[in-house]
Amino acid sequence: MKECKKYQKNLVAFLYGELQGDEKKSLESHLDTCSLCRSELDRLKEVKNGADSLNPEIENVMASIDWEALQEKISEAAFEEGTSMIRQSWLRSFLQSIFQPKLRPVYAGLFLGILIGAAVAFMIFRTPHLQVVKNGEIIVPQSFLEWAELEMARRNTIDYLERSQYLLLDFVQSSLDESAGFWQSNYASQKARDLLSKKKYINQQLDKFHMAKAKAICDQIELLFFELIQISEQISMAELKRIQDLIVERQVLLKIKIVKKELEKSEV
Amino acid sequence: MKPERVVENENVYTLVEKIKEGDREAFMTVTRLYQKKVFLLAFSYFRNKEDALDIVQETFLRFYQKADMFHKGRNFQSWLLQVARNICIDYYRKNYSRESTFNRERNIDEMNLPATDSNESHGSSDLKEPFSSCLEKLSEKQRMIFVMKHYNQLEYREIAQILNIALGTVKSLHFKAVQNLRALMSPYLGRQT
Repeated sequence: MKECKKYQKNLVAFLYGELQGDEKKSLESHLDTCSLCRSELDRLKEVKNGADSLNPEIENVMASIDWEALQEKISEAAFEEGTSMIRQSWLRSFLQSIFQPKLRPVYAGLFLGILIGAAVAFMIFRTPHLQVVKNGEIIVPQSFLEWAELEMARRNTIDYLERSQYLLLDFVQSSLDESAGFWQSNYASQKARDLLSKKKYINQQLDKFHMAKAKAICDQIELLFFELIQISEQISMAELKRIQDLIVERQVLLKIKIVKKELEKSEV
Repeated sequence: MKPERVVENENVYTLVEKIKEGDREAFMTVTRLYQKKVFLLAFSYFRNKEDALDIVQETFLRFYQKADMFHKGRNFQSWLLQVARNICIDYYRKNYSRESTFNRERNIDEMNLPATDSNESHGSSDLKEPFSSCLEKLSEKQRMIFVMKHYNQLEYREIAQILNIALGTVKSLHFKAVQNLRALMSPYLGRQT
């Protein structure tokens, strides 16, 4: 019985011609001597016969099909739908070569990098704006106030430098005789005083926003104006000459120009 | 029901290469060579001509779209029947799964149960309907393996390739399928199991 169980496991494979060599021979000789396994094989043959009972129907159905027409119909459907696909096959193979599965981690990393970069850039460069809520109230975020203050400092400094530049330019370009009259006139000394008082105002802003380069040149200008105003009433030619030479020697006008440009690009 | 070995693999590879370049004649040749095999598989599975024809058409359309995915060295028939098998399963799940429970109940009623005192063996034509209903009761995999083995006359080795399972698993599932069919068919075979 134990032996039969072993052989019976192979009966289905034997029935369907899947048993070969020694296995097949061994089963065949067992079947010659074992009536139990032979009757088991007969039962399995009945299942096979049952399955064969569908054959006539299958043959009839297959005979009723116009295979030529079917083949034509399939081909027509494939080539109608697939024309554009075939035309684009080069594009498809190109895309397949680029988007290989092994490169997916690289693309994922790149994509992540771009996302993070974009987020950081957005945080840095976004212009703060006022938020107006529904009932008309305006919410002023701290970031907006800081941005506005920095922008004012920048503009005030540019204005201060520009006005100083013109005044100093007038002074440097004029002859010594003219310069004496120039500084003794109300026009120049008033302008210089205005600029000195403006400097007091922008001093705080320059310190707050660490605009060191701009502060250095503004301090130099302040000293110059201070000296010119102090001495304007009893100014001598020699002193005027010394101050003019100082401006040229220290390249004050050039420095003003550079710092102004940098400020205009917000690089200070 | 003897399916002929249609064409040498080398010739199929050449045809498939031409199809990849858009050769309609080559596509029609492959369709002519394999359409009956696909139909046989689908009809044995569904026992419905229209469904089987739909499966044939869908299989060759899918083959045309995915011809690039077939590589030299693979057995073309196994590859195509794998495509057909996947479509059969999708089609079955989409169109048959909802009514399957109802149909099973109905099929048992319609199976012309034999008289209990009958000891006569039934003729093969009487077995057609009961066998068909019994076949439907097998699990998806057992049914597919039985159909591939019995009607498509594929070797275990080919079935293993198509279903992407081990040879031993095919042998064991085929054994179980036949045993289950025998158990289900016993009332109609006039014997006790």
